[in-house]
Amino acid sequence: MTSDLIGGARNAATGFVDRLVRDYSGLVVCLIALFLIVFIAGMVTAPNFLTIFNFKTIIRDAALVGIMAVGLTFVTLSGNFFLLSMKETAALSIICFATSMSAGYGFEISFLLTMAIALVAGAAQGALIGLGGNPIVVTLGAAGLLFGLGSWWSDNLVVSFRRPHGAEWLGTGSFLGLPNITIAFILIAVTAELVLRYTKFGRQVYLVGANRAAGRATGHENFAMAIKVCIIASLCSAFVAVAFSAQVSSAHVNYFSSEFGSSGDMTIMVIATVMVGGNSIMGGFGSTLRSSLGAIFISTVDNMMVLHGFNSGPRVLAVGLMIVFSIIVFALVRRGARAQE
Amino acid sequence: MLTLSSINRSFGAIQALKDADFEIGEAEVMGLVGENGAGKSTLVKIISGFDDGYSGEFMMDGIPVRFSSPSRAERAGIAIAQQELSLIPAMSVAENIFLAGDQVPLMATKNALSKRARPYLAEVGLDAVDPSIAVNRLSVGEQQLVEVARLLAHEPRVLILDEPTAALGESDSMRILAMVERLAASGKSIIYVSHRLDEIFKVCHRVTVLRDGMSQKARRASELDVHSLVESMLGRELHNMFPERASLKRDEPLLRVNGVWPDATVEPFNFEAYPGEILGLAGQLGSGSGDVLAAIGGASGTRDGKITFDGRDFMPRSPKEAIAAGIAYCSDDRKLDGLFLGRPIKENLTSPALNKISAFGFLQHGIERGLASLNAEKFTVDVSRMRTEAGLLSGGNQQKVALGKWLAIEPKVILVNEPTRGVDVGARAEIYRKLREFADEGKAVVFASTDIQEITGLADRVITFYRGMQIGEIAMDSMSAATVLEQITHPFPPAAEVAEP
Repeated sequence: MTSDLIGGARNAATGFVDRLVRDYSGLVVCLIALFLIVFIAGMVTAPNFLTIFNFKTIIRDAALVGIMAVGLTFVTLSGNFFLLSMKETAALSIICFATSMSAGYGFEISFLLTMAIALVAGAAQGALIGLGGNPIVVTLGAAGLLFGLGSWWSDNLVVSFRRPHGAEWLGTGSFLGLPNITIAFILIAVTAELVLRYTKFGRQVYLVGANRAAGRATGHENFAMAIKVCIIASLCSAFVAVAFSAQVSSAHVNYFSSEFGSSGDMTIMVIATVMVGGNSIMGGFGSTLRSSLGAIFISTVDNMMVLHGFNSGPRVLAVGLMIVFSIIVFALVRRGARAQE
Repeated sequence: MLTLSSINRSFGAIQALKDADFEIGEAEVMGLVGENGAGKSTLVKIISGFDDGYSGEFMMDGIPVRFSSPSRAERAGIAIAQQELSLIPAMSVAENIFLAGDQVPLMATKNALSKRARPYLAEVGLDAVDPSIAVNRLSVGEQQLVEVARLLAHEPRVLILDEPTAALGESDSMRILAMVERLAASGKSIIYVSHRLDEIFKVCHRVTVLRDGMSQKARRASELDVHSLVESMLGRELHNMFPERASLKRDEPLLRVNGVWPDATVEPFNFEAYPGEILGLAGQLGSGSGDVLAAIGGASGTRDGKITFDGRDFMPRSPKEAIAAGIAYCSDDRKLDGLFLGRPIKENLTSPALNKISAFGFLQHGIERGLASLNAEKFTVDVSRMRTEAGLLSGGNQQKVALGKWLAIEPKVILVNEPTRGVDVGARAEIYRKLREFADEGKAVVFASTDIQEITGLADRVITFYRGMQIGEIAMDSMSAATVLEQITHPFPPAAEVAEP
């Protein structure tokens, strides 16, 4: 009787894992398992780890990189590689937002103005990529251009605006104990995942990413696709810039280059997040859910290392190791899936 | 000097060569002909050392030999020029000729290399070419000649040319043929593999025919004519493979192609397709029959021309426009642009018809499942595997999905380039049956093929192509493999050939 119960429970458990592997692919399961291992390790070794305050910190830290990574995931999934101008888009956006705020235009107008600039920047890069430009070359060029514009506009100075201001709710506000920026991250991540799964546009992202030539042959041109995904990534960048500026009530073009994340470079951190999530660099396979989990995972490891008193060198190393590890697991799981057939 | 006897080679259940014999003498040009899959390439691979998994006797100058690698065959004096060039485009002609580096001093200067390269270039008729210029500045035909010069640097006794003119135009082909004659005159033995029978008659002394892996006794080219050669190449009948043709009334054409000139061809094409009809475009590789389909399907550009479709003028600039008009185009390379290999079968089957399975931009997963299963069943693709990646299917099933996806847009015309390339016999029969059903519904099918049996077995009417030119039209009642083969390999009357010096 009891053995039956135990057996049944075991069956249910393996069945559950099987279903997880089948529906969400092995890598997500691996990531969750790894996350749990890190989580338990953190619980055992760092006394401050298992506090609600610390979890809020982890998710809040993950939010800014995470939002940008969700945006960039669309570009990667559609087979257009990466935008190397993520951080520069944010730099120009933050200058635009702060300048507008300090000029007294209020949150709404400043926000819309910033988004409009990001939209133009994204559309222009997308059009060039869609016409056949190499994404690396195009976005590297765009990066210089956008950063130069931001630097010129701000005279390379810090632009600050006085509290109280209309953006405080986004920067430092919270709702039911959760920082609003965390809520924004969750909302954006969930919306992005739903768009990918349940809309025609989402399906086109996967198809064009899986095989651009076949995409064209079935009526899905990469030109329109590249513009759309670049706009999405750019808008996410700009949103992060606005949120960060709202938090610190100031802006400087270097905010996303030096004072950010453990590796200090926002573009690198965002690309790392997409990769740690196990999205295919070649496109056509992956999801924004993976990128969101990747962001939380990196943030958790980083947090643990901070609690253990590591300085930035080893923390950057850890991010690098996570990328390498993720690529290996990704390759193994994909091969395993093929071998099963 | 080379004698192969009773060669057997099988791959799994398929026997590629059955007791095949082959021989070639000193300073002889031996033609090797046969249909696709007759065993030509297997035999060539065995001779050149790429394949040593055969049984049988292989003698060279009366001594038994067996080459376990291409380099061993090369050392014994057998060199092969393959269809794909192996030159390095940015390097100079001389550097390419001595790429292997074993015939020249370690520190040779550019001038020294050029000097050494000249005699080999002269042998292939490239006296006028400066050996120090980069290979990518030469024409494709000249590059082909450089490739042969590179082989000659190893001083081979037997040279195998595998379809050397497949990708070449008329004038470059002439240079290749002139080179073959010159080399034979200088004492080299040459095995000449080609689908182009006019070339075989021009340069070969004797011809060996392979059919279904079996060889026929080599015969002197002078004793043969095109008809008898074609007769010996064809054989096996596959009537039951092809579905019955329905009686057909042709009134108004559904698709009228008027002077459409694809970028890749020599001249514009004219033909029309009628509802209920399967029209076959017959031609060899590079004949332009596939290019015109790609042009109608919006997949490639055109210089000129007009298409009338369903009574309206129509000139698609992209596949998207063709799809919107109800024209489906399926290319000959399913891996390149026919399938999303990494995506599930279901998504492949609905990929051209996302508008049909979505409302206000949202996918209707139920409708998608229904549409995908319906078309999978029509093409007998296992419905329980709808979530499997398309890349995991066999070649035949992949082709069924690549074709089957077009049913989702309910096209009025379906254009197929090579409907059964790399597809096993069973799947082929199903694809033929499906195309026939489609035509019987009052739609039009236009397919291009290099496979003669497919052309004669499936098409209601055939248009023939030869090297980017439209040659003729063959109606149902006068259709035979021999007529088709003659028009696509040897389109000019034999009398004209004789008149040439």
